[in-house]
Amino acid sequence: MTTPAALRLDGVSKSFGSVHAVRDVSLTIARHEVVGLVGENGAGKSTLLKILTGIHTPDAGTIEVAGSPVRFSRPQDAVAAGIGVVHQEQSLLPNLSVAENLAVHDAGPDSPTRFGLYRWGRLNADARQVLDRVGSRVDPRTLVRDLSFVDRQMVEIARALRVGERAHTSPLLVLDEPTAVLDRDETEVLEQEIASLKEVGSVVFVSHRLDEVRRICDRILVMTHGELVADRRSEEVNEAEIFELMIGRRADARERSWTAPAAAEPVLEATSLRRSGRFADVSLALHPGRCLAIVGALGSGREQLCRALFGAVGLDGGRIELAGRPVRSWSMRSAVEQGVGYVSSERRVEAMVGGLSARENLALAPRGTRPAGSHDARRLTEQWFERLDVRPNDPDVALDRFSGGNQQKVVMAKWLTMTDLKVLILDHPLRGLDPDAAAAVNAEIRSACERGAAVVMLPDTLEEALETADDVLVMRDGEITARFDVVADAPTSLDLLERMV
Amino acid sequence: MSAATHVVPTASPRRVSPRELGEVGALVLLVVVFTALNPSTFVTLTNIRTVLDQASVPLILGVGATLVILMGSIDLSVEGVMGAAGMTFILLSDNTRKTVDLGAGAIVVALAVGLALGLLSGLLHTRLRVPSFIVTLGVWFVGLGIATLLFGESVIPFLPDGGIKAWPSHHPLGVPNSFLLALVIVVAGLLVARFTTLGRMAYAIGGDEQVARDNGLAVDRYKVLVFVVAGGCGAVAGILATMQLGAGSATVGVGNLFTTIAAVVIGGTSLGGGRGGIHRTVVGVLLLVVLQNGLVLSGVSPNVQSAVSGAVLIVAVAAAAWPLRDRLRIVT
Repeated sequence: MTTPAALRLDGVSKSFGSVHAVRDVSLTIARHEVVGLVGENGAGKSTLLKILTGIHTPDAGTIEVAGSPVRFSRPQDAVAAGIGVVHQEQSLLPNLSVAENLAVHDAGPDSPTRFGLYRWGRLNADARQVLDRVGSRVDPRTLVRDLSFVDRQMVEIARALRVGERAHTSPLLVLDEPTAVLDRDETEVLEQEIASLKEVGSVVFVSHRLDEVRRICDRILVMTHGELVADRRSEEVNEAEIFELMIGRRADARERSWTAPAAAEPVLEATSLRRSGRFADVSLALHPGRCLAIVGALGSGREQLCRALFGAVGLDGGRIELAGRPVRSWSMRSAVEQGVGYVSSERRVEAMVGGLSARENLALAPRGTRPAGSHDARRLTEQWFERLDVRPNDPDVALDRFSGGNQQKVVMAKWLTMTDLKVLILDHPLRGLDPDAAAAVNAEIRSACERGAAVVMLPDTLEEALETADDVLVMRDGEITARFDVVADAPTSLDLLERMV
Repeated sequence: MSAATHVVPTASPRRVSPRELGEVGALVLLVVVFTALNPSTFVTLTNIRTVLDQASVPLILGVGATLVILMGSIDLSVEGVMGAAGMTFILLSDNTRKTVDLGAGAIVVALAVGLALGLLSGLLHTRLRVPSFIVTLGVWFVGLGIATLLFGESVIPFLPDGGIKAWPSHHPLGVPNSFLLALVIVVAGLLVARFTTLGRMAYAIGGDEQVARDNGLAVDRYKVLVFVVAGGCGAVAGILATMQLGAGSATVGVGNLFTTIAAVVIGGTSLGGGRGGIHRTVVGVLLLVVLQNGLVLSGVSPNVQSAVSGAVLIVAVAAAAWPLRDRLRIVT
C-alpha cells in the first residue's frame, strides 16, 4: 500500500454571496512535493489558502490530510492537522527575539514558557534546533527587528514548520508569496531553502513570479475565476504558457511597441549628488518622454538616490536643476510643487492613506484648482478607475480594503492625474503585483511618458528594466558604473549584472 | 557573490548599547560637577543617604511606568493612586485622628486600593477602547477624589513619632530602608521584564500591537495586568511617601508624575513603546534626583530648578531621537 497523499481536496467550493470565489477544486499534493499555486489577483488563490488554513470553511467538498478526512472550522484546527502557514503580511513580533517568536504558539506542560516563566536556555536551544532544520544560521537571541527580510522569512518558515511538525511528522507548509518583498539575490537564497524543505514535508508555494515558481516547484497549479484550470509538471511548461493559462491570452509580445523621443532638453538634471554613506558623485539627466531604470544590488544606494531626487532625504552635496534653472532648497514640498511625483516601495506606510477612500487618496496630489469633491474631480476619478480597471470599481471604499495590485493602481493614478506632472519616481512599482496588474501599471508608465513626463523607476528584475525602460543606469556601492540606451546599446541582463557586482 | 553569504547572521544580539552608556556618562558627569562645586557637602554619607531616600519613590513608580510605556501606553494616574493609597494607609494605621489601627493590614488594604485603580484603568482602556492617556487622566482625578473624601474635613492625621514614620530613613544596612524597598521592587521589575510572559508581552505589544493580536496573543489581558502592576507600584509609592511625610495628605504624590515620566524618557525608553527597559529608568531617576539635590546644595533657587529639570528632559529626548532624524519620519 502506498502512503496516502499529504493533502487531498475533492470538489471544494466556497462562495461569498453571489461570488464563487472557489469552485469545485480538486487536487492532490503528495508527500515531499513542492507545488506552486499561481493565478491573477482575485483568481481565488487567497480563498483557497484560507480554506486550507481554517480561516474559511468550505461550502462543499471534502479535505483529507494524510488520508484522513478533516473539517477546519478555525485556524487552530488546521494547525492541529499539521498545516503551517507563512502569510503574506509580516507576522513576527519585531521586538522579541527569534527564539521567542518561534515559541509564541507554544503551550502545554513541557513548554519553555510554562506558567508565564521563561527558561531562556531551553527556549534558545529549541529555536536553534528548528532553525538548523531549515538551514537558517541566525542567532536565536537576535531581535527580529534587527534581521534582514530574507532572514525574517526564514524564521517565519521555521515557525510554520514547527507548528506543523508538532501535529504531524511530515507537515504541510503553505507559503503565501514569501518572496514578494525580497530583492533578487535574497530571493535566490530563499528559493534554495524552500526547495530543500521537501526533505521534511510538503509545500504549497504561492508567487507571482512565474520564473521562480518554475524553478522551485515540482508541479504548478493554475487558478482562474475560482477554478483550477491547469495542473502541469514544471518541466513541461514554460513561463509564457503559464501566463497564457492564467490570463487566458498570450503574453504581450516582448518587442517594444513604442519609440521613445530622442533625449531632448532635460526636465531635471542632477550633478554630482552626494549623500554620505549612501551614494556619491551621481549625475543624471531626466528627459521628457523617457523612462530611466536604475538597477543595482543591495547597498547600491539607488533607493536613497530616488528619495533624494524627491527631496525626502537631504543631500550632502551636488546640484539639481529643473528645466535649466538651479533649485536652491530641495524638499518634498518644492518637489511636488514643481511637478515631481514619488511612489514609495513601502506602499502601505508611505504611499497611501489607508483609512481614506480611494477617491480621497487620488485627490492628495495637487490637481490645479479643482476641489476634490467637485463634479469634475468625481468624473475624473471614475474615468481613472475605468481606465486602470480598479477592482472593486467603487472609489468610496477605504483604500486599505483594496488588494495590493489595486492599491498600487490608485497610488499611481494619484500622480498621473496631476495636471503638470514632469517627473515620476517609482520605487519598485511592480512589487507584489500579478502579471495583469503589472501590465496595467506598465501601460500607465508608458502613457505618462507619452504625455511628456520623465519616469525614473527601480525595477524588481533586470528583465523588467530592459522591457520597460528607455535608459538604464547601473549603480554599485553608491556610484554609477554604467549607462545604457536600451535601444541603441541593446544591453543584455548579463551586461547589467556585470556592472552591478 | 555566493548565495550562502547571505544566510550569515545579519545582526548579533547586543547586551549593552552605546546609548545606555550615554546616560550613565551624564550621571557621572553630574556627580563630578556637583562634587567640584560643593566639595564639602555633596559626597558625604548623609547626603548620599538623602539622595537615595529621595530616589526611592520615583524608582518604585518608574518600574510600573516603564512597563506601561514599553507597552506603548501611558499611565498618568500615579499621583491620584498615591493619594488614595496613602490616605487609606494612614487612616487604617495608628494615627492622631484615632480612626482604626489594622497594623500591617493597613498596607494590604492600601495596596488593594492601588491594584483596584490600576485594574480600573486597564479595563476601561481595553474594554471601552479609550486611549490610556484619557483613561488614566480620569483615574488620576478619581484617585485624588477618593483621597480627598478620606481626608474629609477633620484634623490632619499624623503618624506618631518613631515606629513606621522613621522606618524609611533608618539605615540599619547602611542605606535607607526606603531605598532598599525600591531596590527590591526594581529587581523584581527587571526579573518580570526579562523572565516572564507578562514582561515580554509588554515589549511585544509595544513593538507592534497589531502583529501581536494577529498572532492570537491575549493582548488585552496583558495590558490590564500591566496597569494593575503599575497601580500596585503607585500604592507602594503612596504608602512610602506617606511614611516619609509622617502625615496624611491627598496630594502626597504631587510632582511625581513629571519626575516619573521624565525619568523613564530620559533613561531612554521610547514613548512610542517597545524600546527601553527598567534598568534605564533607574539611571533616569538617579539623574533627575542627583540634579535636583545638586542644585539645592549649590544654592540655586527652586524656581530655576524646575526649569533646569524641564530643559534636561527636552535635551535628553532630542538626543535620543537624533539618530532617527528623517524628513519622512512622523512625530506625533
